[in-house]
Amino acid sequence: MGRRLVGLFIVLALAWGGLGALTAAGITPRLGLDLQGGTSVVLTAPPDTDEEVLEVAVEVMRNRIEDIGGVQEPEIAISGANTVVVQLPGVEDERRALDAIGQTGQLSFRPVLGETPGETGPLTGDEAPDGVDPVTGLTIDDDLTTESYLRYERTSPLTGGATFTVLHLGPAELLGSDVSSAIPGFNTAGAQWSVSLGLTGDGGDIFADLTGEAATYPPGDPRRQIAIVLDGEILAAPEVNLDVDPGTGITGGQASITLGASPDAEQEAQDLGVVLRYGSLPVSFERSSVSKVSASLGTDSLELGLWAGGAGLILVAILLVAYYRALGLVALVGLTVFGSLLIGIFSALGALESFGLTLTLAGVTGIIVAVGITADSYIVYFERVKDEIRAGADVETAVTDAFKGAFRTILTADTVSLLGATLLYLLAVGAVRGFALALGIATVLDLIVVRLYTRRAVWLLGRTRLGDGGPFSIVGAAGARSTP
Amino acid sequence: MSALTNISRGETTIDFVGLRRRWFMFSAVLILVSLAALGLRQLNFGLEFEGGVAIQSPNPAGAGVEDLRETITSLGLGDARIQLIDDGEAVLVQTGPLDQAAEDELIDVITSLTGVERVDSSLDAVGPTFGTLVARQALIALGVFLALAVLFIAWRLQWKMGLVGIVALFHDMIITIGVYALLQFPVTPATVVALLTILGYSLYDTVVVFDRVEEYTDEMRDDHTYTEIVNRAMNKVLIRSLLTSLTSLIPVGSLLFVGSILLGASSLQDFALALFVGMAAGTYSSIMIAGPLLAVWREGEDEWTAQRHEVHRIRDLRAAKAVGPATAAPPQAPKRQPERTEASPDRPPGSGPAPRPPKKGRR
Repeated sequence: MGRRLVGLFIVLALAWGGLGALTAAGITPRLGLDLQGGTSVVLTAPPDTDEEVLEVAVEVMRNRIEDIGGVQEPEIAISGANTVVVQLPGVEDERRALDAIGQTGQLSFRPVLGETPGETGPLTGDEAPDGVDPVTGLTIDDDLTTESYLRYERTSPLTGGATFTVLHLGPAELLGSDVSSAIPGFNTAGAQWSVSLGLTGDGGDIFADLTGEAATYPPGDPRRQIAIVLDGEILAAPEVNLDVDPGTGITGGQASITLGASPDAEQEAQDLGVVLRYGSLPVSFERSSVSKVSASLGTDSLELGLWAGGAGLILVAILLVAYYRALGLVALVGLTVFGSLLIGIFSALGALESFGLTLTLAGVTGIIVAVGITADSYIVYFERVKDEIRAGADVETAVTDAFKGAFRTILTADTVSLLGATLLYLLAVGAVRGFALALGIATVLDLIVVRLYTRRAVWLLGRTRLGDGGPFSIVGAAGARSTP
Repeated sequence: MSALTNISRGETTIDFVGLRRRWFMFSAVLILVSLAALGLRQLNFGLEFEGGVAIQSPNPAGAGVEDLRETITSLGLGDARIQLIDDGEAVLVQTGPLDQAAEDELIDVITSLTGVERVDSSLDAVGPTFGTLVARQALIALGVFLALAVLFIAWRLQWKMGLVGIVALFHDMIITIGVYALLQFPVTPATVVALLTILGYSLYDTVVVFDRVEEYTDEMRDDHTYTEIVNRAMNKVLIRSLLTSLTSLIPVGSLLFVGSILLGASSLQDFALALFVGMAAGTYSSIMIAGPLLAVWREGEDEWTAQRHEVHRIRDLRAAKAVGPATAAPPQAPKRQPERTEASPDRPPGSGPAPRPPKKGRR
């Protein structure tokens, strides 16, 4: 008796106290965009796109979104075989954000016209030409056809520290489409990481001119560099080698970009190789769906879900109490335990960075469905209790024996439900996943509540006057005659 | 009153298996109507499946459909569908697929007429392939789920139960899809969610019912036919099924009810009605279709056919003994049950020498 009572209290304390503590700490479920407002974009890559390529694309998109600013926690994730889901909560100007992620962008090779140490461009204030920020001296919107001032972060091969310079670039001469291959590798002769670059026929000729021009400057002169630029960001600015003839440049459409021997160089070579191969966004995505929900519509939907869920729970509780009487009270408390744990789980998993679980409208639907499943668990159990009592068992035996049979049924049925939810979560796309996740969590929770709460609570109830005594008791609800 | 008490105590003696013709006919009619509706009216695929743009905006300026139509037509979008929703407090404009510039222009035009900022409008733009992708992935998940569910039920209960469960599931799905075709509800990814919910519920409910059958099979197999076992389980589980469908439908109903108060008429009503029909069909099919189907199928097994003959032989013997030797009735007197009524579970149908329950002429 004492052990079960303690167990029951622990469960109740965990459910109610846990939710109370989370709420007090300001941790509430993280709402999906359809409940809080925001823009969600589904982009579809061509079929059979490499996973690696998608990862690069996601990385590029993330950088671009962060550059725009004004977006709280953008979420960009690969979903399914070839789709990328971009979630932008509370974006004021979704137009720019959509442009930023949708554009394929351009990779370009550009001559370097000059270099200024530090993070500020050489021309500021009134001297700043059109398109250059007067404060930073940097070009605002990079245009491939004009000269630009771009910041360049250089990692020192010796110290590993970062130094900044601003490069003055000429218009782009070569584009990503001129690159035919880019293979990262380890150059054993020089013991350095490098990327072997292959160019198309025309591209090779232009590249020879570009490098030949650069080779006319002495080593150490910034103009001896070729800048590789992606979306207004300088990825690398390698200097043309000493052995390159200034007249002819690097001919044959083949070149090697050496990145050094530092531990980071391997990763750099890999990244640069990918970017050179795929241009900026490695694939062109089709915009499969854009869904922008205004903050007020989101709030309306949230309120709807809360009201419907709350009203449903109350009605179910009333029905169960009316039909099962004292046992119904167990179910009533049980529904609050179930609800508290569910909200608690969504809050906790939403707050954890690695899960980032969000509650969407489809998820709310899944939970409303799960209320039915939870109620069924009580009904299956309580019907068996009544059967046992009508068959003449005393209350304690009845609740114990009934639980064994009922739990078997609940376990089997919940497993089928969980199986469906898991498969949907793994295989489906879009809103269906949110639904499956909520249904799955709620189903597991149902099993836990049945096992840890319902069994103890009913057993303890059976020991009180509500077990056997009067029409409201367990025996009374079974319609059997109370023992005097 | 006493009928209700009987149901609540699981003491009804409805011959579910014997009355199967009635249930099967009823379901056949429903399925035929559904298929006919599907064939004649087709499904009304919503924006998400056809591709297109839907823009919703609050309407404090009280813009009318005609004002909107005039301006939107001037953009060259004469075929746009324009509706006032929420008693005119919001407008909904739907068009075919647009490129982003046209989409932007449309939003600006609408919000300037309705008197709100661009930020206050909501937008759904869907490429023509997205809905298909959602549906295809859901179908793949469905196929894998059905296969695994059959295996699981076969392992946990019995393999014929798994297959019969799938039959019941298709029964429920076809009827729900029929409702969509008949009432021309738009089919959206939310519909896919509704169908999957129904599917999960249908199988869940069938499993609960079959679990009871399996339990009674262990208890009653010595002196009962399979049909009797199924009938007994169905009667016993009837109250559970009724209560459970009630408690499952209450939240759905409250979604429907609260939804219409808070948001006005909306797609949630379609959703809730689909769930309502599907769940009702799920409860019905678990008892009226899955149970009898299982009984008929398993009665054909050698083991249960032999059992049936054995049970009837013993009962006939007992009946003869009860009459008493004084009347000198021959031990195997009743060659045929003269009063083989369908509603009598004590005299189950299918008694007599036939290896399977008779197929026709039973009424």
